[in-house]
Amino acid sequence: MDRTGISVWEAVDIPQRKCLQWRFPSRSIWVERVETEWHVLSLPEAARQHMATRMAVARSMKPRSTEWRHYLHRAGGQMRPSPVLPDRPVVIRPDRELTLLPGQSTIFYLGIPVWFRLSTKGPPPARIFDEPLEGLTRTWFGDPVTGELCWGLATRLHHSLDSVDTAADHAVCPLEIENDSETDLEFQKICIHVENLSVFRGRQRLWTNSLHVVFKGPDQVTQIEIAREPPGLEQNLELAAQARQPAAGWNIRKTFGMLKSFTDF
Amino acid sequence: MFQQFVNWFHSLSAEVLTKGLRVAITVVLGLVLFRLLAAVTQRYLMRKSTLQRRMVARKAITYSGFVLVLLAVLGELGVKLTALLGAAGIVGIAVGFASQTSVSNIISGLFLISEKPFAIGDVIRIGGTTGIIQSIDLLSIKIRTFDNMFVRIPNEKILSSEVTNVTRFPIRRMDLVFQVDYGQDLARVLAVLGEIARVNPWSLDEPEPVILFTEFKESGIEIQFGLWFAKTDFMPLKNSIMQDVTSRFAVEGIRFAHPRRTIRPDAPARRAPPRKRAATS
Repeated sequence: MDRTGISVWEAVDIPQRKCLQWRFPSRSIWVERVETEWHVLSLPEAARQHMATRMAVARSMKPRSTEWRHYLHRAGGQMRPSPVLPDRPVVIRPDRELTLLPGQSTIFYLGIPVWFRLSTKGPPPARIFDEPLEGLTRTWFGDPVTGELCWGLATRLHHSLDSVDTAADHAVCPLEIENDSETDLEFQKICIHVENLSVFRGRQRLWTNSLHVVFKGPDQVTQIEIAREPPGLEQNLELAAQARQPAAGWNIRKTFGMLKSFTDF
Repeated sequence: MFQQFVNWFHSLSAEVLTKGLRVAITVVLGLVLFRLLAAVTQRYLMRKSTLQRRMVARKAITYSGFVLVLLAVLGELGVKLTALLGAAGIVGIAVGFASQTSVSNIISGLFLISEKPFAIGDVIRIGGTTGIIQSIDLLSIKIRTFDNMFVRIPNEKILSSEVTNVTRFPIRRMDLVFQVDYGQDLARVLAVLGEIARVNPWSLDEPEPVILFTEFKESGIEIQFGLWFAKTDFMPLKNSIMQDVTSRFAVEGIRFAHPRRTIRPDAPARRAPPRKRAATS
Protein backbone atom coordinates (compact mmCIF):
# COMPACT_ATOMS: atom_id res chain seq x y z
CA MET A 1 0.00 0.00 0.00
CA ASP A 2 1.27 3.46 -0.96
CA ARG A 3 1.22 5.41 2.32
CA THR A 4 3.37 8.30 1.14
CA GLY A 5 1.94 8.87 -2.30
CA ILE A 6 5.20 7.95 -3.99
CA SER A 7 3.26 6.92 -7.10
CA VAL A 8 2.97 10.63 -7.98
CA TRP A 9 6.39 10.20 -9.56
CA GLU A 10 5.02 7.92 -12.26
CA ALA A 11 4.82 9.06 -15.88
CA VAL A 12 1.57 10.72 -16.84
CA ASP A 13 -0.16 11.91 -19.96
CA ILE A 14 -1.14 15.60 -19.94
CA PRO A 15 -3.58 16.25 -22.80
CA GLN A 16 -4.13 19.64 -24.38
CA ARG A 17 -5.90 22.19 -22.15
CA LYS A 18 -5.79 19.91 -19.12
CA CYS A 19 -4.46 20.94 -15.75
CA LEU A 20 -2.86 18.60 -13.23
CA GLN A 21 -2.03 19.34 -9.63
CA TRP A 22 0.73 17.59 -7.71
CA ARG A 23 0.21 18.13 -4.04
CA PHE A 24 3.27 17.47 -1.87
CA PRO A 25 3.56 17.78 1.93
CA SER A 26 4.67 21.41 1.82
CA ARG A 27 4.09 22.61 -1.76
CA SER A 28 1.62 22.25 -4.61
CA ILE A 29 2.48 22.38 -8.28
CA TRP A 30 -0.04 22.96 -11.08
CA VAL A 31 0.88 22.12 -14.67
CA GLU A 32 -1.30 22.98 -17.62
CA ARG A 33 -0.59 22.34 -21.28
CA VAL A 34 -1.89 24.89 -23.78
CA GLU A 35 -0.75 24.38 -27.39
CA THR A 36 3.06 24.49 -27.23
CA GLU A 37 3.15 26.19 -23.84
CA TRP A 38 3.44 24.65 -20.41
CA HIS A 39 1.91 26.80 -17.69
CA VAL A 40 3.37 26.13 -14.26
CA LEU A 41 2.44 27.42 -10.83
CA SER A 42 4.12 26.51 -7.55
CA LEU A 43 2.64 27.57 -4.23
CA PRO A 44 3.43 26.57 -0.64
CA GLU A 45 0.84 24.57 1.27
CA ALA A 46 -0.73 26.40 4.17
CA ALA A 47 -0.45 23.30 6.39
CA ARG A 48 1.86 20.34 5.96
CA GLN A 49 0.15 17.43 4.18
CA HIS A 50 0.70 13.83 5.17
CA MET A 51 1.01 12.33 1.73
CA ALA A 52 1.57 13.39 -1.85
CA THR A 53 -1.27 13.25 -4.36
CA ARG A 54 -1.82 13.96 -8.03
CA MET A 55 -5.19 15.02 -9.39
CA ALA A 56 -6.77 16.57 -12.44
CA VAL A 57 -8.10 20.08 -11.85
CA ALA A 58 -10.87 21.73 -13.83
CA ARG A 59 -9.53 24.81 -15.63
CA SER A 60 -12.09 26.95 -13.87
CA MET A 61 -10.75 25.73 -10.53
CA LYS A 62 -7.08 26.41 -11.11
CA PRO A 63 -5.65 29.16 -8.87
CA ARG A 64 -5.69 32.70 -10.17
CA SER A 65 -2.22 34.05 -9.62
CA THR A 66 0.31 36.32 -11.25
CA GLU A 67 3.00 33.77 -10.49
CA TRP A 68 2.16 31.39 -13.33
CA ARG A 69 5.25 30.77 -15.42
CA HIS A 70 5.17 29.78 -19.08
CA TYR A 71 7.59 27.43 -20.80
CA LEU A 72 7.61 26.94 -24.54
CA HIS A 73 8.14 23.35 -25.63
CA ARG A 74 6.53 21.48 -28.48
CA ALA A 75 6.60 18.13 -26.67
CA GLY A 76 3.38 16.51 -25.65
CA GLY A 77 2.07 13.11 -24.68
CA GLN A 78 3.65 11.20 -21.83
CA MET A 79 5.46 13.38 -19.32
CA ARG A 80 7.77 12.16 -16.61
CA PRO A 81 7.89 13.91 -13.25
CA SER A 82 11.10 13.07 -11.47
CA PRO A 83 12.54 13.77 -8.02
CA VAL A 84 15.92 15.44 -8.58
CA LEU A 85 18.27 16.53 -5.84
CA PRO A 86 18.99 20.25 -5.28
CA ASP A 87 21.26 22.06 -7.71
CA ARG A 88 23.90 22.98 -5.13
CA PRO A 89 25.64 21.08 -2.33
CA VAL A 90 23.59 20.72 0.84
CA VAL A 91 25.15 21.56 4.21
CA ILE A 92 23.61 19.45 6.95
CA ARG A 93 23.51 21.05 10.38
CA PRO A 94 22.69 18.38 12.96
CA ASP A 95 20.23 19.46 15.63
CA ARG A 96 22.53 18.10 18.34
CA GLU A 97 26.26 17.77 18.64
CA LEU A 98 27.68 14.33 17.99
CA THR A 99 31.28 13.21 18.26
CA LEU A 100 32.70 10.17 16.50
CA LEU A 101 35.69 8.86 18.40
CA PRO A 102 38.94 7.88 16.64
CA GLY A 103 38.86 4.52 14.89
CA GLN A 104 35.07 4.32 15.02
CA SER A 105 32.58 4.25 12.16
CA THR A 106 28.85 4.84 12.02
CA ILE A 107 25.98 5.12 9.56
CA PHE A 108 23.46 7.97 9.39
CA TYR A 109 20.31 8.32 7.33
CA LEU A 110 19.64 11.81 6.05
CA GLY A 111 16.36 13.00 4.60
CA ILE A 112 17.19 15.37 1.74
CA PRO A 113 14.36 17.41 0.15
CA VAL A 114 14.00 16.77 -3.57
CA TRP A 115 13.01 19.10 -6.42
CA PHE A 116 10.22 18.42 -8.87
CA ARG A 117 11.39 18.06 -12.46
CA LEU A 118 9.00 17.68 -15.36
CA SER A 119 10.46 16.29 -18.55
CA THR A 120 9.23 14.64 -21.69
CA LYS A 121 9.40 10.89 -21.62
CA GLY A 122 11.54 10.92 -24.75
CA PRO A 123 13.63 9.48 -26.17
CA PRO A 124 15.60 11.60 -25.58
CA PRO A 125 13.92 13.13 -22.52
CA ALA A 126 13.84 16.93 -22.48
CA ARG A 127 13.60 18.93 -19.27
CA ILE A 128 10.76 21.42 -19.06
CA PHE A 129 11.36 22.83 -15.56
CA ASP A 130 12.76 22.17 -12.06
CA GLU A 131 10.97 23.38 -8.95
CA PRO A 132 12.05 23.06 -5.28
CA LEU A 133 9.49 21.34 -3.06
CA GLU A 134 10.82 22.65 0.24
CA GLY A 135 12.50 25.96 0.99
CA LEU A 136 16.11 25.55 2.06
CA THR A 137 18.22 28.32 3.50
CA ARG A 138 21.24 29.72 1.69
CA THR A 139 24.52 29.04 3.38
CA TRP A 140 28.24 29.22 2.77
CA PHE A 141 30.64 26.35 3.31
CA GLY A 142 34.34 27.06 3.66
CA ASP A 143 36.26 30.28 3.97
CA PRO A 144 34.95 33.53 2.44
CA VAL A 145 37.36 33.40 -0.50
CA THR A 146 37.42 29.78 -1.65
CA GLY A 147 34.24 28.33 -0.14
CA GLU A 148 31.06 27.56 -2.02
CA LEU A 149 27.44 28.60 -1.95
CA CYS A 150 25.24 25.79 -0.65
CA TRP A 151 21.74 25.03 0.57
CA GLY A 152 21.44 24.69 4.34
CA LEU A 153 19.39 22.01 6.04
CA ALA A 154 18.95 21.69 9.79
CA THR A 155 18.03 18.08 10.50
CA ARG A 156 18.55 15.15 12.77
CA LEU A 157 21.22 12.56 12.02
CA HIS A 158 19.17 9.36 12.24
CA HIS A 159 20.97 6.20 13.32
CA SER A 160 18.02 4.01 12.48
CA LEU A 161 16.02 3.94 9.28
CA ASP A 162 12.81 3.47 11.27
CA SER A 163 13.06 6.96 12.70
CA VAL A 164 13.32 8.59 9.26
CA ASP A 165 9.93 9.86 8.09
CA THR A 166 8.69 8.36 4.86
CA ALA A 167 7.76 11.14 2.46
CA ALA A 168 7.45 11.47 -1.29
CA ASP A 169 9.39 14.74 -1.28
CA HIS A 170 12.48 13.54 0.59
CA ALA A 171 15.18 11.11 -0.49
CA VAL A 172 17.03 9.09 2.12
CA CYS A 173 20.81 9.27 1.85
CA PRO A 174 22.69 6.51 3.69
CA LEU A 175 25.90 8.11 4.94
CA GLU A 176 28.60 5.89 6.40
CA ILE A 177 31.36 7.79 8.18
CA GLU A 178 34.67 6.37 9.28
CA ASN A 179 36.99 8.28 11.57
CA ASP A 180 40.40 7.14 10.38
CA SER A 181 42.26 9.81 12.36
CA GLU A 182 43.58 10.22 15.86
CA THR A 183 41.27 13.11 16.69
CA ASP A 184 37.60 13.29 17.66
CA LEU A 185 35.28 14.03 14.77
CA GLU A 186 32.64 16.53 15.86
CA PHE A 187 29.68 16.90 13.54
CA GLN A 188 28.80 20.57 13.34
CA LYS A 189 28.31 20.78 9.59
CA ILE A 190 28.44 18.16 6.85
CA CYS A 191 28.57 19.21 3.21
CA ILE A 192 26.97 16.69 0.86
CA HIS A 193 27.54 17.22 -2.85
CA VAL A 194 24.08 16.09 -3.84
CA GLU A 195 24.61 17.11 -7.45
CA ASN A 196 26.70 13.91 -7.76
CA LEU A 197 23.91 11.65 -6.46
CA SER A 198 21.12 9.87 -8.32
CA VAL A 199 17.65 9.23 -6.92
CA PHE A 200 16.02 5.80 -6.79
CA ARG A 201 12.36 5.00 -6.16
CA GLY A 202 11.31 2.26 -3.78
CA ARG A 203 7.89 1.17 -2.53
CA GLN A 204 7.60 3.81 0.21
CA ARG A 205 10.74 5.90 -0.04
CA LEU A 206 13.07 7.68 -2.37
CA TRP A 207 16.76 6.85 -1.99
CA THR A 208 20.06 8.31 -3.10
CA ASN A 209 23.34 6.49 -3.67
CA SER A 210 25.10 5.51 -0.47
CA LEU A 211 28.05 7.61 0.60
CA HIS A 212 31.13 6.32 2.36
CA VAL A 213 33.20 9.07 3.93
CA VAL A 214 36.64 8.55 5.41
CA PHE A 215 37.84 11.29 7.75
CA LYS A 216 41.64 11.40 7.87
CA GLY A 217 42.11 14.36 10.19
CA PRO A 218 41.27 18.06 10.44
CA ASP A 219 44.17 19.10 8.24
CA GLN A 220 43.61 16.38 5.68
CA VAL A 221 41.11 16.25 2.84
CA THR A 222 38.25 13.82 3.24
CA GLN A 223 37.79 10.85 0.93
CA ILE A 224 34.26 10.27 -0.31
CA GLU A 225 33.09 7.18 -2.12
CA ILE A 226 29.78 7.27 -3.95
CA ALA A 227 28.30 3.83 -4.45
CA ARG A 228 27.44 3.23 -8.09
CA GLU A 229 24.58 0.85 -7.29
CA PRO A 230 21.31 1.68 -5.51
CA PRO A 231 21.46 1.19 -1.73
CA GLY A 232 20.84 -2.40 -0.71
CA LEU A 233 18.38 -1.44 2.03
CA GLU A 234 15.41 -2.03 -0.28
CA GLN A 235 15.03 -4.48 -3.15
CA ASN A 236 14.04 -3.65 -6.73
CA LEU A 237 14.81 0.04 -6.61
CA GLU A 238 14.11 1.89 -9.83
CA LEU A 239 16.22 4.80 -11.08
CA ALA A 240 14.04 7.90 -10.74
CA ALA A 241 16.54 10.62 -11.67
CA GLN A 242 20.12 10.66 -12.82
CA ALA A 243 22.69 12.72 -10.92
CA ARG A 244 22.98 16.28 -12.21
CA GLN A 245 26.75 15.81 -12.44
CA PRO A 246 27.80 12.17 -12.29
CA ALA A 247 31.02 11.88 -10.25
CA ALA A 248 33.99 9.57 -10.38
CA GLY A 249 33.96 6.72 -7.83
CA TRP A 250 36.35 8.31 -5.36
CA ASN A 251 36.18 11.93 -4.62
CA ILE A 252 38.39 14.03 -2.39
CA ARG A 253 36.75 17.05 -0.89
CA LYS A 254 36.36 19.09 2.21
CA THR A 255 33.26 17.70 3.85
CA PHE A 256 33.30 18.56 7.52
CA GLY A 257 33.15 22.04 8.93
CA MET A 258 34.17 21.67 12.53
CA LEU A 259 35.36 25.12 13.46
CA LYS A 260 33.61 28.34 12.78
CA SER A 261 35.73 30.25 10.31
CA PHE A 262 33.78 33.46 10.67
CA THR A 263 34.36 34.54 14.21
CA ASP A 264 35.70 37.85 13.05
CA PHE A 265 33.63 40.97 13.33
CA MET B 1 40.87 64.44 -61.60
CA PHE B 2 40.84 60.75 -62.47
CA GLN B 3 42.72 61.48 -65.68
CA GLN B 4 45.36 63.34 -63.68
CA PHE B 5 45.79 60.32 -61.42
CA VAL B 6 46.15 57.98 -64.44
CA ASN B 7 48.76 60.27 -65.97
CA TRP B 8 50.64 60.41 -62.71
CA PHE B 9 50.50 56.62 -62.42
CA HIS B 10 51.89 56.19 -65.97
CA SER B 11 54.74 58.58 -65.18
CA LEU B 12 55.99 56.31 -62.34
CA SER B 13 58.98 54.14 -63.09
CA ALA B 14 58.79 50.34 -62.90
CA GLU B 15 61.09 50.36 -59.89
CA VAL B 16 58.84 52.70 -57.94
CA LEU B 17 55.78 50.70 -58.89
CA THR B 18 57.41 47.45 -57.75
CA LYS B 19 58.44 49.02 -54.46
CA GLY B 20 54.95 50.39 -53.91
CA LEU B 21 53.42 47.02 -54.63
CA ARG B 22 55.78 45.31 -52.19
CA VAL B 23 54.99 47.88 -49.50
CA ALA B 24 51.25 47.39 -50.04
CA ILE B 25 51.60 43.59 -49.86
CA THR B 26 53.73 43.89 -46.70
CA VAL B 27 51.16 46.15 -45.03
CA VAL B 28 48.12 44.09 -46.00
CA LEU B 29 49.67 40.69 -45.33
CA GLY B 30 51.36 41.85 -42.13
CA LEU B 31 48.25 43.37 -40.62
CA VAL B 32 46.06 40.43 -41.66
CA LEU B 33 48.61 37.97 -40.31
CA PHE B 34 48.86 39.67 -36.91
CA ARG B 35 45.08 40.07 -36.65
CA LEU B 36 44.76 36.38 -37.42
CA LEU B 37 47.43 35.54 -34.85
CA ALA B 38 45.60 37.61 -32.21
CA ALA B 39 42.29 35.92 -33.01
CA VAL B 40 43.78 32.40 -32.92
CA THR B 41 45.57 33.14 -29.65
CA GLN B 42 42.38 34.42 -28.05
CA ARG B 43 40.05 31.76 -29.36
CA TYR B 44 42.15 28.64 -29.06
CA LEU B 45 45.35 29.12 -27.06
CA MET B 46 43.87 31.33 -24.30
CA ARG B 47 40.35 29.89 -24.33
CA LYS B 48 40.42 29.28 -20.57
CA SER B 49 42.15 32.53 -19.64
CA THR B 50 40.33 35.45 -18.12
CA LEU B 51 38.80 38.13 -20.29
CA GLN B 52 41.44 40.57 -19.12
CA ARG B 53 44.40 38.35 -20.05
CA ARG B 54 42.92 37.70 -23.47
CA MET B 55 42.49 41.41 -24.03
CA VAL B 56 46.08 42.15 -22.97
CA ALA B 57 47.39 39.38 -25.27
CA ARG B 58 45.35 40.70 -28.20
CA LYS B 59 46.62 44.23 -27.71
CA ALA B 60 50.24 43.08 -27.25
CA ILE B 61 50.10 41.09 -30.51
CA THR B 62 48.34 43.86 -32.42
CA TYR B 63 50.68 46.66 -31.27
CA SER B 64 53.83 44.54 -31.77
CA GLY B 65 52.57 43.57 -35.22
CA PHE B 66 51.97 47.21 -36.09
CA VAL B 67 55.53 48.16 -35.08
CA LEU B 68 57.04 45.22 -37.01
CA VAL B 69 55.05 46.05 -40.15
CA LEU B 70 56.11 49.70 -39.85
CA LEU B 71 59.77 48.69 -39.55
CA ALA B 72 59.43 46.35 -42.53
CA VAL B 73 57.83 49.10 -44.63
CA LEU B 74 60.53 51.59 -43.68
CA GLY B 75 63.19 49.00 -44.58
CA GLU B 76 61.45 48.42 -47.92
CA LEU B 77 61.47 52.14 -48.64
CA GLY B 78 65.19 52.25 -47.96
CA VAL B 79 65.02 54.25 -44.76
CA LYS B 80 68.10 53.51 -42.65
CA LEU B 81 66.85 52.41 -39.27
CA THR B 82 70.04 53.31 -37.40
CA ALA B 83 69.76 56.93 -38.50
CA LEU B 84 66.09 56.86 -37.74
CA LEU B 85 66.68 55.49 -34.27
CA GLY B 86 69.31 58.20 -33.65
CA ALA B 87 66.87 60.85 -34.73
CA ALA B 88 64.19 59.15 -32.69
CA GLY B 89 66.40 59.50 -29.62
CA ILE B 90 66.54 63.26 -30.00
CA VAL B 91 62.88 63.48 -30.87
CA GLY B 92 62.15 61.13 -27.99
CA ILE B 93 63.64 63.50 -25.45
CA ALA B 94 61.50 66.33 -26.77
CA VAL B 95 58.39 64.17 -26.91
CA GLY B 96 59.19 62.71 -23.50
CA PHE B 97 59.12 66.12 -21.89
CA ALA B 98 55.86 66.88 -23.62
CA SER B 99 54.18 63.61 -22.74
CA GLN B 100 55.18 62.93 -19.18
CA THR B 101 51.59 62.26 -18.15
CA SER B 102 51.02 59.77 -20.94
CA VAL B 103 54.21 57.90 -20.13
CA SER B 104 53.28 57.88 -16.48
CA ASN B 105 49.88 56.45 -17.41
CA ILE B 106 51.47 53.75 -19.56
CA ILE B 107 53.84 52.69 -16.79
CA SER B 108 50.98 52.74 -14.29
CA GLY B 109 48.95 50.63 -16.72
CA LEU B 110 51.74 48.05 -16.88
CA PHE B 111 51.83 47.93 -13.07
CA LEU B 112 48.05 47.50 -12.96
CA ILE B 113 48.15 44.70 -15.51
CA SER B 114 50.84 42.86 -13.57
CA GLU B 115 49.37 43.48 -10.09
CA LYS B 116 45.80 42.59 -11.16
CA PRO B 117 43.83 44.38 -8.42
CA PHE B 118 40.72 43.96 -10.60
CA ALA B 119 39.60 42.34 -13.83
CA ILE B 120 37.10 43.12 -16.55
CA GLY B 121 33.57 42.66 -15.18
CA ASP B 122 34.51 43.51 -11.57
CA VAL B 123 32.63 46.24 -9.76
CA ILE B 124 35.06 48.81 -8.33
CA ARG B 125 34.72 51.97 -6.29
CA ILE B 126 37.28 54.71 -6.75
CA GLY B 127 36.71 58.12 -5.22
CA GLY B 128 33.02 58.80 -5.65
CA THR B 129 32.62 56.59 -8.71
CA THR B 130 31.32 53.02 -8.64
CA GLY B 131 30.88 50.92 -11.75
CA ILE B 132 31.67 47.82 -13.77
CA ILE B 133 35.05 47.65 -15.52
CA GLN B 134 34.65 47.55 -19.28
CA SER B 135 38.30 47.59 -20.34
CA ILE B 136 41.79 47.97 -18.92
CA ASP B 137 44.03 49.77 -21.37
CA LEU B 138 47.56 51.12 -21.35
CA LEU B 139 46.51 54.69 -20.61
CA SER B 140 43.27 54.31 -18.68
CA ILE B 141 40.50 52.03 -17.52
CA LYS B 142 36.93 52.45 -18.68
CA ILE B 143 34.02 51.76 -16.39
CA ARG B 144 30.27 51.83 -16.79
CA THR B 145 28.44 53.24 -13.79
CA PHE B 146 25.14 51.75 -12.59
CA ASP B 147 23.23 54.68 -14.05
CA ASN B 148 24.84 53.81 -17.41
CA MET B 149 27.47 56.48 -17.72
CA PHE B 150 30.88 55.97 -19.26
CA VAL B 151 33.80 56.98 -17.06
CA ARG B 152 37.45 57.00 -18.12
CA ILE B 153 39.96 56.97 -15.28
CA PRO B 154 43.68 57.51 -16.05
CA ASN B 155 45.88 54.68 -14.81
CA GLU B 156 48.11 57.11 -12.93
CA LYS B 157 45.17 58.19 -10.79
CA ILE B 158 44.18 54.59 -10.04
CA LEU B 159 47.68 53.69 -8.94
CA SER B 160 47.80 56.59 -6.48
CA SER B 161 44.22 56.21 -5.16
CA GLU B 162 42.43 53.77 -2.90
CA VAL B 163 40.46 51.35 -5.07
CA THR B 164 37.79 49.07 -3.61
CA ASN B 165 37.03 45.92 -5.56
CA VAL B 166 33.43 45.26 -4.50
CA THR B 167 33.00 41.89 -6.22
CA ARG B 168 36.43 40.33 -5.70
CA PHE B 169 35.18 37.77 -3.18
CA PRO B 170 32.11 35.56 -3.67
CA ILE B 171 30.29 36.68 -0.52
CA ARG B 172 29.96 40.03 1.22
CA ARG B 173 28.40 41.50 4.32
CA MET B 174 25.77 44.21 4.18
CA ASP B 175 25.66 46.39 7.29
CA LEU B 176 22.52 48.26 8.25
CA VAL B 177 23.07 50.81 11.02
CA PHE B 178 20.05 52.25 12.81
CA GLN B 179 18.94 53.35 16.27
CA VAL B 180 16.13 52.11 18.48
CA ASP B 181 14.45 54.22 21.09
CA TYR B 182 15.69 54.11 24.69
CA GLY B 183 13.39 52.00 26.80
CA GLN B 184 13.15 49.11 24.31
CA ASP B 185 13.73 45.56 25.50
CA LEU B 186 17.13 44.98 23.92
CA ALA B 187 16.99 41.22 24.34
CA ARG B 188 13.74 41.26 22.39
CA VAL B 189 15.31 43.47 19.69
CA LEU B 190 18.20 40.99 19.43
CA ALA B 191 15.82 38.03 19.06
CA VAL B 192 13.65 39.78 16.47
CA LEU B 193 16.65 40.78 14.32
CA GLY B 194 17.94 37.20 14.48
CA GLU B 195 14.56 35.94 13.32
CA ILE B 196 14.42 38.50 10.49
CA ALA B 197 17.83 37.33 9.24
CA ARG B 198 16.82 33.67 9.53
CA VAL B 199 13.68 33.93 7.41
CA ASN B 200 15.06 36.25 4.73
CA PRO B 201 15.65 34.10 1.63
CA TRP B 202 18.69 36.09 0.42
CA SER B 203 20.61 36.21 3.68
CA LEU B 204 23.15 33.44 4.31
CA ASP B 205 22.72 31.62 7.60
CA GLU B 206 26.44 30.87 7.65
CA PRO B 207 28.50 33.05 8.28
CA GLU B 208 26.12 34.10 11.01
CA PRO B 209 24.65 37.59 10.92
CA VAL B 210 26.34 40.23 13.06
CA ILE B 211 23.99 41.97 15.51
CA LEU B 212 25.81 44.46 17.68
CA PHE B 213 24.73 47.28 19.96
CA THR B 214 27.43 49.76 19.04
CA GLU B 215 26.80 53.01 20.92
CA PHE B 216 24.58 55.06 23.22
CA LYS B 217 23.54 57.91 20.97
CA GLU B 218 21.73 61.16 21.66
CA SER B 219 18.30 59.81 20.75
CA GLY B 220 18.66 56.04 21.06
CA ILE B 221 20.84 52.98 21.01
CA GLU B 222 22.74 52.35 17.78
CA ILE B 223 22.65 48.85 16.32
CA GLN B 224 24.75 47.31 13.60
CA PHE B 225 22.87 44.59 11.72
CA GLY B 226 25.24 42.80 9.32
CA LEU B 227 24.00 40.14 6.90
CA TRP B 228 26.15 37.96 4.68
CA PHE B 229 25.03 37.36 1.12
CA ALA B 230 26.22 36.02 -2.23
CA LYS B 231 27.60 38.95 -4.23
CA THR B 232 24.91 38.66 -6.91
CA ASP B 233 22.10 39.09 -4.37
CA PHE B 234 22.83 42.65 -3.26
CA MET B 235 19.65 44.27 -4.57
CA PRO B 236 17.08 41.66 -3.53
CA LEU B 237 18.62 41.47 -0.06
CA LYS B 238 18.80 45.24 0.39
CA ASN B 239 15.20 45.78 -0.66
CA SER B 240 13.75 42.85 1.25
CA ILE B 241 15.66 43.38 4.49
CA MET B 242 14.66 47.06 4.75
CA GLN B 243 11.03 46.03 4.34
CA ASP B 244 11.40 43.13 6.77
CA VAL B 245 12.96 45.26 9.53
CA THR B 246 10.39 48.04 9.16
CA SER B 247 7.33 45.80 9.09
CA ARG B 248 8.51 43.42 11.80
CA PHE B 249 9.45 46.28 14.14
CA ALA B 250 5.98 47.74 13.61
CA VAL B 251 4.37 44.40 14.49
CA GLU B 252 6.59 43.92 17.56
CA GLY B 253 6.13 47.51 18.74
CA ILE B 254 9.85 48.27 18.55
CA ARG B 255 10.35 51.98 17.91
CA PHE B 256 13.15 53.48 15.84
CA ALA B 257 14.85 56.43 17.51
CA HIS B 258 14.13 59.88 16.14
CA PRO B 259 15.91 63.11 17.10
CA ARG B 260 14.10 64.46 20.16
CA ARG B 261 14.22 67.70 22.14
CA THR B 262 12.62 68.13 25.56
CA ILE B 263 11.29 71.66 26.11
CA ARG B 264 10.64 72.62 29.75
CA PRO B 265 8.32 75.49 30.57
CA ASP B 266 9.60 78.39 32.73
CA ALA B 267 9.53 78.22 36.58
CA PRO B 268 6.05 78.83 38.13
CA ALA B 269 7.17 82.09 39.90
CA ARG B 270 7.78 83.82 36.60
CA ARG B 271 4.49 82.78 35.08
CA ALA B 272 1.84 85.39 34.51
CA PRO B 273 -0.86 85.25 37.23
CA PRO B 274 -4.06 83.53 36.14
CA ARG B 275 -6.80 85.86 35.01
CA LYS B 276 -9.60 86.41 37.50
CA ARG B 277 -13.02 85.54 36.27
CA ALA B 278 -15.59 88.27 36.30
CA ALA B 279 -18.14 87.79 39.08
CA THR B 280 -21.52 86.87 37.83
CA SER B 281 -24.73 87.22 39.77
